[in-house]
Amino acid sequence: MVKLPLDKQALSGLRVIDFSWIVAGPQNTRILADFGAEVIKIENEASLDYARHIASPFANGSPNKSPLHSTLNRNKKSITLNVMHPEGMEYLKELISISDVIVENFSAKVLEKWGLGYEEQKKIRPDIIYCSMSGFGHSGRDKGYVTWGPTAQAISGLTYMSGLPEEESAGWGFSYMDHTGGFYGCMAILMAVLHRNKTGEGQHLDLSQVEAGIGLTGTAILDYTVNNRPFRRSEMPPGNRAPERRIAPHNSYKCKGEDRWCVISVTTDVEWDLLVDSMENPNWAQDPKFSSMESRVTNQDELDDKINQWTQQFTPQEIMKFLQEKGVPCGAVQTPSERVEQDQQLKHRNFIATAPHAELETSRVESIPMNMSETPWQMKTSAPLLGEHSADIYLDLLGVPGEELGRLFEEGIA
Amino acid sequence: MAKALDGITVLELCGERGQLMGKLMGDMGARVIKVEPIGGSETRNIGPFKDDEINKNQSLYFWSNNTSKESIEVDINSPEGIQIIKSLSKICDVVFEDFEPGYLTSLGLGYDELSKNHQELVMTSLTEFGQDGPYRDYKSTDLVALAMGGQMHSCGYDDLPGAPPIRPYGDHGNYIAAHYGLMGTLSALIYRDFSGKGQYIDASAHEACSSTTEVALPAYLYPPNKEVFRQTGRHAGTFPTAKTLCKTVDNKYLIVFRIFMDLSSWIALVKWMDLHGMAEDLADQKFKDMAANRTAGTEDGDYAMEVLRKFIATRPAEEVYRKSQELRFPWGVVRSPEENIDDPHFNEDRGMFTDIEHPEIGNGVSYKYVGRPYNFKGTPWSASRPPLLAENTEKILLEDLNFSNEKISDLISSGVIGVS
Repeated sequence: MVKLPLDKQALSGLRVIDFSWIVAGPQNTRILADFGAEVIKIENEASLDYARHIASPFANGSPNKSPLHSTLNRNKKSITLNVMHPEGMEYLKELISISDVIVENFSAKVLEKWGLGYEEQKKIRPDIIYCSMSGFGHSGRDKGYVTWGPTAQAISGLTYMSGLPEEESAGWGFSYMDHTGGFYGCMAILMAVLHRNKTGEGQHLDLSQVEAGIGLTGTAILDYTVNNRPFRRSEMPPGNRAPERRIAPHNSYKCKGEDRWCVISVTTDVEWDLLVDSMENPNWAQDPKFSSMESRVTNQDELDDKINQWTQQFTPQEIMKFLQEKGVPCGAVQTPSERVEQDQQLKHRNFIATAPHAELETSRVESIPMNMSETPWQMKTSAPLLGEHSADIYLDLLGVPGEELGRLFEEGIA
Repeated sequence: MAKALDGITVLELCGERGQLMGKLMGDMGARVIKVEPIGGSETRNIGPFKDDEINKNQSLYFWSNNTSKESIEVDINSPEGIQIIKSLSKICDVVFEDFEPGYLTSLGLGYDELSKNHQELVMTSLTEFGQDGPYRDYKSTDLVALAMGGQMHSCGYDDLPGAPPIRPYGDHGNYIAAHYGLMGTLSALIYRDFSGKGQYIDASAHEACSSTTEVALPAYLYPPNKEVFRQTGRHAGTFPTAKTLCKTVDNKYLIVFRIFMDLSSWIALVKWMDLHGMAEDLADQKFKDMAANRTAGTEDGDYAMEVLRKFIATRPAEEVYRKSQELRFPWGVVRSPEENIDDPHFNEDRGMFTDIEHPEIGNGVSYKYVGRPYNFKGTPWSASRPPLLAENTEKILLEDLNFSNEKISDLISSGVIGVS
């Protein structure tokens, strides 16, 4: 058995060429990098990763101060390389020849226009794993359609599924499908690496952000194909209730403070008894219409009103701790500041990781959400400054002579 | 053709939080043995049900999350049941579990025990809060996960007075957790193939959700340390943005944004509106300039959006969606999930939906399921019917553990195992 150095990570030795930008692609390669892959972001001042522009007001035009970019790109390297320059393309091909994976989330056909479609990649590196992440995939009549995260959420059905009944969609207040599209890209690559390691065969992984979203609507699809019941009907979406589980109370409730909320989710009769006990056995709770799960579901409008009156004397954090100590599933609807400053669990698990950063002083990012006994994640480096690793990669990986390097920069190749 | 995960065997002791991990691996070729308690997994009680008949083998929720698995019904609180799990784990590469922290260890089924003489084993515990810490024993559901994880803070309404934050419906807290749990597990398998060493993964749904809120944490963690606030149907922001939901004549919605994207798209859009006599003064030069410069957030921009909104209100949703995409606008129609089944791009061209046979319901009966979430060009994806409760108990005990028929009969009569 090979003896491994102590700082070995799960994907040590896996080299990834990363053309990805904004959120979905970088979310994918962030996880690869967190698991120890060497992720090399191919960048160019002429077409910067858009996320580098989503900067804090203090960025002063620097491409290195974007908070969103800094969390999505930690543990990666950055090289500037102009793929539109013939010499730049030659260096890129050399890099491909010594890499395992290529990731991009451009529109379909961009890499083919560069002369770097999968068939060309294979000529350079026969076992390459090519992960393309477009909105609609690389085949089919709508492959040229344009998507952003919210577009993919709308088309897939996820936006419609989020909201109060009979109201407009609340949808998702962020690009959930950029995260989740990234997860599916990452899972696909990891499965393809397992397959390649066994068979020596690479392949093209054709990801569609909308399809990954549709994949999460399986139950609603079956309700339609089996029961002929569309999700588009008056009682759906169900707000914060759980008709599919036939349990109540199950909702959001008002708390002390402006626009402050908690959720309570009672899944068994035992938990109901504990909740009633926690409320100091009010008379209304003894009413037979609340005595069984079935009757509570039937009468949940009234039930929710009663609970709402009780919860408003507590802050979200107070009621969460109080009810959880009694054994009732309850959560604060946590604000960002609560997650960072008050959530004792996230603190205990070192959820916010830090590393020095040349322009932000310190990066503060969400860590990978798991502890791995043999290959723990490490916050090794902050998101790279634009071109931070150019010299290292040209000189050490690509063997460019030191005296040539200056010319590459001057002539706009690097 | 070989499947990507051929040869990998998974033991799944999971309910709603972890079940997706096994499904995703099973559909890619792994053999997944789902261990269910006597009476069946709790997830078999979650609706909707086929024909609305509450029945352990007719939960459509169970169906959608448990394709490509085998089912063995075992009482893991009995000594014989514990022995069965131990023996099964020896033939497995991966164990998934989502019990409360420490529960399996208390039964003698923790990683230390299962990895004895089996150091290649990868075991992933997917709990709500992780194996340690002050909230370790907190009770959770998908709703609690999405409240504490921050999703709800970002989702809801800004123009509906008193509206609560909204939990996006559909098990997404569970799914976020399972996606991360699976990514960790797959990376550990790659490491195992290289090093010969398995490992234990302590994965937390709360941390997974907390790291899946896009700008909410970066906006707070860096100056000026602002908190995002909810806006109807669009991104929560640290500053208000224009409403993107536009109602259509057929009572559906479109999300419309980036109307000033480039000059040619804008001119084509105005021409289309003008064909219907609804362009008003949008052909004016100032709007062309705004389109060419991608100007955002001005009063003229708001005005243009209102004119556009009035126009969209007279057209059917799918028509505006198709037309706008032809003009290269990134607009999307807000579909209900079933409306994708008839979209030829997904259905005909991409084969996104798949028919799965259900012979237990009737000869030749099959139902259309959601298909592959990714398109591997070199290795196939396929899903088999979710297992009936205990469908494979006898076969697994006979063939994998070499139990005798008598022993199996004894275990059935003593209530340690169930058979279908």
